[in-house]
Amino acid sequence: MLLPWEYGVRNLARRPVRTALTLVALATVVMLVFVVVGFIRGLEKSLAVSGDPQVVLVYSVNAEQNIENSSIAARTPDLLTASLDGVQKRFGVTHVSPEMYLGTRIKTRDGDAGLGLVRGVTRTAPLVRRGVKIVAGSWPGPGQVLVGRLAYAKLGSRSESLTIGQTVEFEGKTWTISGLFVAGGAAYESEIWCNLAEFQTATKRQDISLAAILMAPGASASRVQLFCKERTDLELRAIVETDYYAALQQHYKPVRLLAWFVVVLVSSAGIFAGLNMMYGAVAGRVREIATLQAIGFRRRAVLLSLVQEGLLLSAAASLLSGFIALVLLNGMAVRFTMGAFTLRIDSVAILVGCGVGLALGILGALPPALKALRASVAISLKAV
Amino acid sequence: MKLLNWTVAVALATIVGCGQTPSSDTAQEPAPPAASEYLVETEPVDAVPVGEARQSVSDAQAVTLVGTIGGSSEPFVDGLAAFTIVDPNVPYCAADEGCPTPWDYCCTQDQVKDNIATVKVVDASGNPVAADARKLLQVKELSTVVVKGTATRDEQGNLTVAANEVFVRPGK
Repeated sequence: MLLPWEYGVRNLARRPVRTALTLVALATVVMLVFVVVGFIRGLEKSLAVSGDPQVVLVYSVNAEQNIENSSIAARTPDLLTASLDGVQKRFGVTHVSPEMYLGTRIKTRDGDAGLGLVRGVTRTAPLVRRGVKIVAGSWPGPGQVLVGRLAYAKLGSRSESLTIGQTVEFEGKTWTISGLFVAGGAAYESEIWCNLAEFQTATKRQDISLAAILMAPGASASRVQLFCKERTDLELRAIVETDYYAALQQHYKPVRLLAWFVVVLVSSAGIFAGLNMMYGAVAGRVREIATLQAIGFRRRAVLLSLVQEGLLLSAAASLLSGFIALVLLNGMAVRFTMGAFTLRIDSVAILVGCGVGLALGILGALPPALKALRASVAISLKAV
Repeated sequence: MKLLNWTVAVALATIVGCGQTPSSDTAQEPAPPAASEYLVETEPVDAVPVGEARQSVSDAQAVTLVGTIGGSSEPFVDGLAAFTIVDPNVPYCAADEGCPTPWDYCCTQDQVKDNIATVKVVDASGNPVAADARKLLQVKELSTVVVKGTATRDEQGNLTVAANEVFVRPGK
């Protein structure tokens, strides 16, 4: 015969302070798990959506995986357009975007200054970067910039500092914000875009960093790679944009592994804390447990009731943390070396967080309950 | 028990029913080109090293080149039978130096510039063969190959060989 369901529920209410403290402790552990898993999922999502399989990036072979270090001749896009078949062309406009990409110190009007990412672009950029959408304002004119949704996070500033009409300073020039853009969570969202020619003038450079090419449907990126191999004098390399970000995923693999390790550490710490708490809770109830056995309840029934208590508490903590994580953490901007991304409390994060929470309840309750049940009923009844 | 048996039977029928049959598209995919079309068993004679060829070969001239696959960290072109070769006389990191990518000639890049050529294996119509050279020719980075074909030169001095015969020297 099992103990009534209400018995476990009422037991929790009989010790409100202990129950509340345990709930807070469990909720904190689950919240930490949500933060770390949300970080990992946000980083993965940002890199996964950054890249279009039809876009090929052409940049300096000496830059390896870091486009910021790339420097190629400004005539390269024209050379590519003239030499290659298969580049997307509509209404007489070839979809090739020459870009200068630079990490530079940016100062907002509020006085916040941080290292930001600036991309000098032309009007062909939105034709190639098809995920980019202007959500407010307009395309930048002379002396103006277009600001990504997460650029403020990359600068370590407030979102209010980068609104339309505000100014920012970089490369010795003041720029007015003409518009805001989003890119579906891609890495561009932490960038500031301005006119390429103006950016070249401001930086006193004549080169560009890369040429992004949108290939026509069915056209292969291999032709661009072959062109780069044949023109060894140009020292170019070509890579499909999705492959570039996949390589970055590999680059950040140690960070992700470390983050998962933190999840394991936090969970382990939580389980030990739970064990400690449950040992204390069960130790104070030795006589009660023995009495239940004396009046005829089997050990298994008492064990199940104790696990039920732990599980109820941890489920409540998981729900509480899940709610807070979804409301407060989800979408929170995080600054990172490659730009910025948002914490992502998605189905995987919910599953891992709540799974850890429920595991805390079960694993924390089992050992102390087993220990209490192993003791002799007669001795336990006399326990003080 | 009977109900369980019926459930299992229905589940199995569903799984089998949902199984994909090979589509006609798959059946019509062109077969990959056979390596033997381009690989030769006898080494072509009078092969010249890449560095020498860059000095002497002119555009549209028939040429036989010998070189080592490399010149950058990724000498092969994905999806095409094309790669870069470097003059065999240009040294690269020895095995005991522990360099993970000796084929990029990281220590002798200044010599690579004048001793590199691009090889693209072409079909009868002159188009590059759409197959990975590593699989088509059973080669890898630092394999020494002798290629026979037609040279293409440009004003910048770049040398490309449209090859229709490739010999892979054994041992590498």
